[in-house]
Amino acid sequence: MSAHRDDASPDPWRSTYWLCARECLRVSKLWTQTMLAPVISSILFILVFGLSLGGRIREVAGFPYDEFIVPGLIAMAMAQAAYSNNSSSIFQARSDRYINDVLAAPMRSWQMNLGMAIGGAYRGLLIGLALLALAAALTGVPIAHPLLLAIAVLLLVVLFGALGIVVGIYAETFDHHTFINNIVILPLTFVGGVFYSVDILPSPWQELSHANPLFYIVNSVRYGFLGTSDVSVGLTFAVSAAMAIAVAAWSQYLFSTGHRLKP
Amino acid sequence: MPGLNPENREPALRVRGLTKRYDDGTMALDALDLDVPSGEFFGLLGPNGAGKTTLISAVTNLIRITAGEVLVFGRPATSLEARRLVGVAEQDPNLDRFLTVREALVYHGGYFGLTKERSLERAEAMIDVFDLRAKADVRAPKLSGGQRRRLQLARALLHEPRLVILDEPTAGVDIELRRELWRYIRRLQREGTTIVLTTHYLEEAEALCEDIALIAGGRIVARSTPAGLKRQFDAKTLEEVYLRAVAGLRMREGAPS
Repeated sequence: MSAHRDDASPDPWRSTYWLCARECLRVSKLWTQTMLAPVISSILFILVFGLSLGGRIREVAGFPYDEFIVPGLIAMAMAQAAYSNNSSSIFQARSDRYINDVLAAPMRSWQMNLGMAIGGAYRGLLIGLALLALAAALTGVPIAHPLLLAIAVLLLVVLFGALGIVVGIYAETFDHHTFINNIVILPLTFVGGVFYSVDILPSPWQELSHANPLFYIVNSVRYGFLGTSDVSVGLTFAVSAAMAIAVAAWSQYLFSTGHRLKP
Repeated sequence: MPGLNPENREPALRVRGLTKRYDDGTMALDALDLDVPSGEFFGLLGPNGAGKTTLISAVTNLIRITAGEVLVFGRPATSLEARRLVGVAEQDPNLDRFLTVREALVYHGGYFGLTKERSLERAEAMIDVFDLRAKADVRAPKLSGGQRRRLQLARALLHEPRLVILDEPTAGVDIELRRELWRYIRRLQREGTTIVLTTHYLEEAEALCEDIALIAGGRIVARSTPAGLKRQFDAKTLEEVYLRAVAGLRMREGAPS
């Protein structure tokens, strides 16, 4: 009896499915870290800022304050989840070298990239759905434009998932990926209009806010929920899409060339 | 034509002018040429840093080669078809820390294109072959060194590759498992699998390999059957062959032996 398989042509989609499944399994196995902790911290933000400060701040952009901050908080939690998941997953895969099992497998480079990125999207979406359910119950936040919200969320998980892949590939220590999260993503999200409308800021802070790329992601998601944005809807989606495409292309470049993945 | 499988006509491995210079300037492979016929038990011996692992990495798509060509059963090593045909157990265990033994095998089968049913079936078979039944639901970091090595070997063989590359597979493995492993690998070879083995256990190479290449300085410096190498180097054992070949190369390079 032959020791080999009979099927002659590889099925890279099957391989990609298994890599996606592996990344989602990792999220599920680590659910207290990957799911529970970010949902609790975001809900605390809604309770502390929304329900306590909400009594003092009547309305922002025509919405009660607790409703106004929900889209930004959900966007922030999803962005951090998509980024952290992918950067830590690929860093560990490189560090323990089990990424070799993927690099040697019969998959195209973009399928490897997709497979490695899917965990961040999965984790981000689960957190987003959990927060939406809780926030809707607590604040009654509406969804004004469901289709645009779906597009905004897609752009968000692509952007931050791909950024996680890029940082996970470049990182030389585990600290590097937490550094980017703590020093870049978190502060830029905070000053990107999560807790306020930038229209209330004096010059030059208002203009500077428009140079913050995360401002556009927060406003895309906010428009999907509330139907309001600090800048034109076209601009906020165009900037978000441009950033998502650019970072996804960078991530794909690393897989296509093997740069930093293969010596 | 019925009955003629192109994978059997082509050499399992054909390497032409393979050169690898790492970013730090180290020349690991220097225009290396090598053919490994299909179905052979082939040994690749050489000192540390000779280029064995770099050659294996080039075949398995784990490095960016500087120049040259690597064909697996006539197909470029980077092609999806070639990758499906190769199984490798690397020198150091590189196991997925989040997966149990069973999951590691099933997911590997999936990555290499097996259906879920086939992957599960093969995983159970490999668990038995490598005596991992008691640890089937344990994650890799909780395995002993020997168990990790067994899982690494089981994973390399799971997708039924036609070319199996074993890089120091028995380093740190007890004698009992070593014997079991070689019995199993020999059976695979009899069934048509090509085996490429690197090892520092020269008696193991002598007993198992039909054909042996000595690699040093990124080049093949000698190649023959074990008996042919002994004649060529006027040596009684493969160990003497090895020492003379390495010493000869060092003298040519002007380094102290």
